Amino acid sequence: MPNGYMALILHAHLPYVRHPEHSRSLEEKWFFEAITECYIPLLRVFQELERDDIYYRVTFSLSPTLMAMMEDSFLQERYGDYLASLQELARKEEQRTKGDSVFSPLARMYRERLDHASHIYNERYGRRLLEAFKELQKTGHVEIITSAATHGYLPLLGLQKEAVYAQLAAGIDYYEQLFGAPPRGIWLPECAYEPGLEEILGELGLHYFITATHGVLYASPRPKYGVYSPLLTPGGLAAFGRDPETSHQVWSANEGYPGDYSYREFYRDIGYDLEMDYIADFLHPAGLRGNTGFKYYRITGPVDYKEPYDRQAALHTAQRHAGNFMFNRGKQVEYYGGLMDRPPLIVAPYDAELFGHWWFEGPQWIDNLCRMMGENRHNVEMVTPEEYLQKGYPLQLCTPNASSWGDKGYHEVWLNGDNDWLYRHLHTCAEKMISLAADYPAASGTLKEALNQAARELLLAQASDWPFIMTAGTMDNYARSKAVSHLERFLKLERQVRQNGIDVSWLRDLEATDNLFPGFDYRLFQSLDDTIAVEKSALKGAGAT
Amino acid sequence: MHPLSSERLDSGESLPRYYGVDRLVLLPRDPYWLFAYWEISTPTRNRVEHEEGTSWNRLNPVLRVYRYNAEGRMEESFFETQLLPEADNWYIKAGVPDRKYYLQLGCRPHENVFKPILTSNTVTTPRDDLSDVIDENWRLPDWQSRRLYWRISRSSLSSLEMMAPQTRRRHRPPT
Repeated sequence: MPNGYMALILHAHLPYVRHPEHSRSLEEKWFFEAITECYIPLLRVFQELERDDIYYRVTFSLSPTLMAMMEDSFLQERYGDYLASLQELARKEEQRTKGDSVFSPLARMYRERLDHASHIYNERYGRRLLEAFKELQKTGHVEIITSAATHGYLPLLGLQKEAVYAQLAAGIDYYEQLFGAPPRGIWLPECAYEPGLEEILGELGLHYFITATHGVLYASPRPKYGVYSPLLTPGGLAAFGRDPETSHQVWSANEGYPGDYSYREFYRDIGYDLEMDYIADFLHPAGLRGNTGFKYYRITGPVDYKEPYDRQAALHTAQRHAGNFMFNRGKQVEYYGGLMDRPPLIVAPYDAELFGHWWFEGPQWIDNLCRMMGENRHNVEMVTPEEYLQKGYPLQLCTPNASSWGDKGYHEVWLNGDNDWLYRHLHTCAEKMISLAADYPAASGTLKEALNQAARELLLAQASDWPFIMTAGTMDNYARSKAVSHLERFLKLERQVRQNGIDVSWLRDLEATDNLFPGFDYRLFQSLDDTIAVEKSALKGAGAT
Repeated sequence: MHPLSSERLDSGESLPRYYGVDRLVLLPRDPYWLFAYWEISTPTRNRVEHEEGTSWNRLNPVLRVYRYNAEGRMEESFFETQLLPEADNWYIKAGVPDRKYYLQLGCRPHENVFKPILTSNTVTTPRDDLSDVIDENWRLPDWQSRRLYWRISRSSLSSLEMMAPQTRRRHRPPT
């Protein structure tokens, strides 16, 4: 038996940013950049670990909106074009830097990375990136889980339990459609939890969820082992609390690994640095400068002056950081192990988009870490939460504390003067949706389609991303207009259903635009008071067919 | 390209400010603060004005904040916050973590009269510290417990630090 365990958890999420109504969308680029810079490089890491027969375990949460974008043929095509254009830029860059001993190897590195991305995306998986995740799931070394349907901030939607249920059930349902079996765990959007949620999670058949550190630490009764053992919640499923030391080592703005001076500088991009004439074809047509992903400098120091990126030095740092991380986990389990009757479990969850996009060397860090930990698994062994639960350690029964992983640890990022106006509408529309589901319990044909679309619009309005972006204050106009337009579409559909005057051609346009979750059933919003759990789960199955 | 345009998708609706209902909703923001929003329908407002024989602006609207005792079984105390007549939401410094609260929105037509109009849902503020409840079957000796919690609290990271890269991730630098 090892001295301790570690669960590395990556949560990948983006809001549903699909804009067929625009020829080019800045927001779709969030998704495209994440594919090129995070998802494909991370997939490559896991595929190479498999090839080399390394012992490793990773839990990967894919939010339902992200999976829906990966599955969407329109976005698949747009990403294909986007990637081809980056490959073209890469070739131009090789030409431009030809003969330059410093920059030409970097241009070649980008060209090779993009060619590899294209091979993975176009040839190997026929543009269906989710197939690569399914393949990994089958190895048993990567556990794929999911989140609430549109990443709704559940404690603030919780005024209506039905809204929370629908968010979760629609997400789980969609996962099951894609993976052929329900997820065993769930990533709560923003790690946001409030007591009572565990009952719905348990009812949905989940085995575990992840909370912020103080979700478990401030649970009641006081947890005997802090965050180093999961808790059993009254819902009959386990809660895993985030370890603060591992977040600190990676996330800390000052001391975190990603800030190392040898790592690649994020803000120096040829999209800003090169002549407009040269780069314009690869930027937004309106002539807006932006990131292209071609970045040739390293962080260098807290100064504007930047030195060229040295790939070998950066990879060496990533290896050193992985060694340091593993060493610290050894120290940690030694410390806590002396206080516990079982090997401590360190839960280390991160945003997947940190790795590769913001922290360019992050995927190599994970690669090194998995290899090193694989060789030293007698000390700290990587596990998935599910595997840890199967070891059968008795779990203490506690109710976690309301919390989130946002600034200040509670709900304020999603509830403050910049976004509080939203909840009046989200709650009222949820109430209207619940009464639609009650008044039309067995709709068919166009009526059913209108009800399903109304529910989709409501789900899209509920995404935690909109209030988050409103708080952050950049792109807040986009976030406001997204939330408002989905609510307005919902209200109009609701009125048309009530007045028996569905505008079918408009409905078809909405279905073609806000088209996520095929097979979704509006009756997930049926009142929890007059529907007992069993009936509702039967319905969930029916919705998927 | 889809033959979809923003104009076609536009619902032509605009989000209403109010929905013509009576409601008072309470949300917890953190261990110390609550947020409330409300709507008083026109018929209700007219009724209150009629009963009191004066206009809403002269009725001194107040929020009465009820707190339950630590066991959560009975009301322990309440306090009132004076509202602006045109307000439709309010942040309330409730002050005590891990307590159940609910609100009444009412008015004070006279000094000693509180006339409730709307009642909210009940919420519980989050804890901001370790629970005082100890399960004797799950108890470490005190010195061990101190060692365990000391290290966790020492390394607890201000989440502001954690958010910094996340904010950078989701948003592009200014051009």
